[in-house]
Amino acid sequence: MQKILVWDWPVRIGHWLLAGAFALAWLTSESEELRLVHVLAGGTVVGIVLFRLLWGFVGTRHARFAGFVRAPGAVVAYLRGVLARRPVHAAGHNPAGALAIVALLVLGLLTGATGWLTYNDSFANLGGEMFEELHEGLATAMLAVAGLHVAGVIVGSLAHRENLVRAMFTGRKFGEAGEAIAGARLWAVPLLLGWAAVCAWWLAR
Amino acid sequence: MKHATLAILATLCAAAAQAATPAELLDGYRAEAARQSAGFQPSAQRGAEFFQHRFGASAKMPSCASCHTDNPAQPGRHVVTDKAIKPLAPAANAGRFTDPAKVEKWFRRNCTEVVGRECSAAEKADFVAFLLGGR
Repeated sequence: MQKILVWDWPVRIGHWLLAGAFALAWLTSESEELRLVHVLAGGTVVGIVLFRLLWGFVGTRHARFAGFVRAPGAVVAYLRGVLARRPVHAAGHNPAGALAIVALLVLGLLTGATGWLTYNDSFANLGGEMFEELHEGLATAMLAVAGLHVAGVIVGSLAHRENLVRAMFTGRKFGEAGEAIAGARLWAVPLLLGWAAVCAWWLAR
Repeated sequence: MKHATLAILATLCAAAAQAATPAELLDGYRAEAARQSAGFQPSAQRGAEFFQHRFGASAKMPSCASCHTDNPAQPGRHVVTDKAIKPLAPAANAGRFTDPAKVEKWFRRNCTEVVGRECSAAEKADFVAFLLGGR
């Protein structure tokens, strides 16, 4: 095993931008003065999630859902392995991490959708009273899953003796040479950023 | 599945039990204020002054009226986002001041930002009295 490139640039930039945008949206959620910042941050979350969903089909090997999403049984088996101190190493996401990723993507989309409905309730009469509650519940659930995700990253880093946080910056993890991705697809980053900006602007109108 | 259904039913019942009329809400704040200051009576006049008062804790939204306009029976407009806000007065918007948890949530948020602190029970009682009295 050696250090190989597994995460392309859109995965890495998207990850940290998503974390930052969600944190910003959470921190500005109580303020009316900062309402536009909140909505732009939320719109950025939605844009990144939509890009990631597409990237899960057309991205590089370890970015594809087919490459890392596993059945519940595989998640349980993986966690048992971690508990037994015999964790099965994955070049890309481990099965438990994959579960957190899917949950965060779904919650990001639903939180954004209910947020938009709340934001535009006054003129459209969409029933925002209900969506306001839903939006808050979904956002809290997303924060909880993000917390679990961070805890999982710490446990995974210790279990596999590799710094998974650093890997999300460098894109490099332990793996067989044949498991590496050929290129980091830097060209797709402007597409990600442009798309996220368009989504943020459009949703905040 | 059965447990989930029961949980949802329990939540709905709890929500239904919490529903109140604006008058009941006002009475709750009046009673709370009276415990802190004997003989307290809500005043729509004080509520109106509070509604118009420029607290200055927020430069963009110095008073309640900044967004809700001088007439709470009219729709408001968010000074930052320019989004419409439904009328605050129950006479113009039947859903207002019927959910105690929601009322507390928005008093907490908006008082903290506009007044610069949490509002007292007396201020809330005056505020609701003003909104119920209309103009």
